[in-house]
Amino acid sequence: MSEHIVSIKGSSDGLQLSFAPGASFTDIEAEIRSRLESGSGFFLRGTLVFIPPDVLTTEQRTSLQKLFHAHGLICRVEHKPDAKDKPAAKKEQAVKAQVKPAAVQPPVQEMVVVNRTLRGGQEINTKSSVLVCGNVNPGAQIIAGGSIDIRGTCRGFVHAGAYGDTKAFIIADHLMPTQIRIADLIARSPDNMEKKTERAERASIKDGQIVIEPIER
Amino acid sequence: MSKIYVITSGKGGVGKTTTTANLGVGLAMRGKKVALIDTDTGLRNLDLLLGLENRIMYDLIDVTEGRVPYKKALVRHKKYDSLFLLPTSQVKDKMAVNPEQLVKLCDELRKEFDYILIDCPAGIEQGFKTAIAAADVAIVVTMPEISAVRDADKIIGELGRADKENIKLIVNRIRPQMVEAGDMLAMEDINDILSIDCIGQVPDDVKVVTSTNRGEPCITMDDSQAGQAYRNIVGRMLGEDIPFMTFAKEGFFARLKHVFGK
Repeated sequence: MSEHIVSIKGSSDGLQLSFAPGASFTDIEAEIRSRLESGSGFFLRGTLVFIPPDVLTTEQRTSLQKLFHAHGLICRVEHKPDAKDKPAAKKEQAVKAQVKPAAVQPPVQEMVVVNRTLRGGQEINTKSSVLVCGNVNPGAQIIAGGSIDIRGTCRGFVHAGAYGDTKAFIIADHLMPTQIRIADLIARSPDNMEKKTERAERASIKDGQIVIEPIER
Repeated sequence: MSKIYVITSGKGGVGKTTTTANLGVGLAMRGKKVALIDTDTGLRNLDLLLGLENRIMYDLIDVTEGRVPYKKALVRHKKYDSLFLLPTSQVKDKMAVNPEQLVKLCDELRKEFDYILIDCPAGIEQGFKTAIAAADVAIVVTMPEISAVRDADKIIGELGRADKENIKLIVNRIRPQMVEAGDMLAMEDINDILSIDCIGQVPDDVKVVTSTNRGEPCITMDDSQAGQAYRNIVGRMLGEDIPFMTFAKEGFFARLKHVFGK
């Protein structure tokens, strides 16, 4: 069966190819070409493909690389030690192999996106910033290293800059939490909380105090 | 197609069992074949509300442990032929049934009944997890009171975690006068927090107490407002489009006039 000429294993970094011993390069190339052209979702654009270094000649490698480039994949001749060492442990599902840039130069600000309403007893605890598309209900908790943006009503407990970032802020369409914390400052809502706030508000630290001001958005 | 509902709330005393009994009777009145399962082991009440206590021979634990087939444990309602109750044990505790056993039982019951309503115990522990395991739809019962709404919110979160996404809301024991005076949470406030599909708004009604004590759910009473609200819920469960009732907002004097005017 032709499938055995080229086998593909997915890893977190990309796809690792390996070739059947003794298979001719023409067969290999034809097999890869036919797979690429079959248009299965397997070969996503931008996926890294690793080919074993020791099997092919330089010319053959370049021709394979060209082939992959033509289909939008990035081809690297590399020996992937972890893929070789524990091939059994890696599952064969390579459907969503993602490109991970090897070394990110400036630290990218990460953000956790919560696409639902946070209900009582539910908790988000993260070092990054948080975006909630939904409400934060009483009894729910968000503890974020960065800032918190709530596209909805905030009635729960929110702590931004939990690891000391005093520049962190909290924004909500209706900001009426039980308690707000930013860095090491704590503010609680007035005991007789008025009605739902009309405008979006932003809480941040100014002059060593948590202040809340309406914002436009 | 049979459907399995679990009636739950988190907080105790909001009317889970009352709701289960009323919806069960209501569906049976509409000619559906209904099984009610009480999973509040150790604190069983559903049989009392239906007035069936003295007819219990076997219970849920006997069935799940394989001592008797479920048919032997089902108690037929004295008035409605198509309504059956599977009572639970009053002496065991909630550890006596596990989720798998209930799922297995419900799969068998599914073949025979149109509707299966499971009465869930209060709390979020083992008993709750067992009760919701087999359900297709969860009905969360709450009251216009912040503690009940808070617990309902938590329960909705827990149901979501157990992959129960089809959740309906019933708000029980609404007192229109108090809502109007701003002393009780209004429906808008509750919807604002819970944001799930509401299928019923049941007013607080003294007839619920008398009907409970008599073992005859208030849905059978024509003059009960709560009964009417439950009838509407049953209609909505059967796919009818019924608008929410507006409560008679008569105050004390209006009612006095009403009485004397007769």
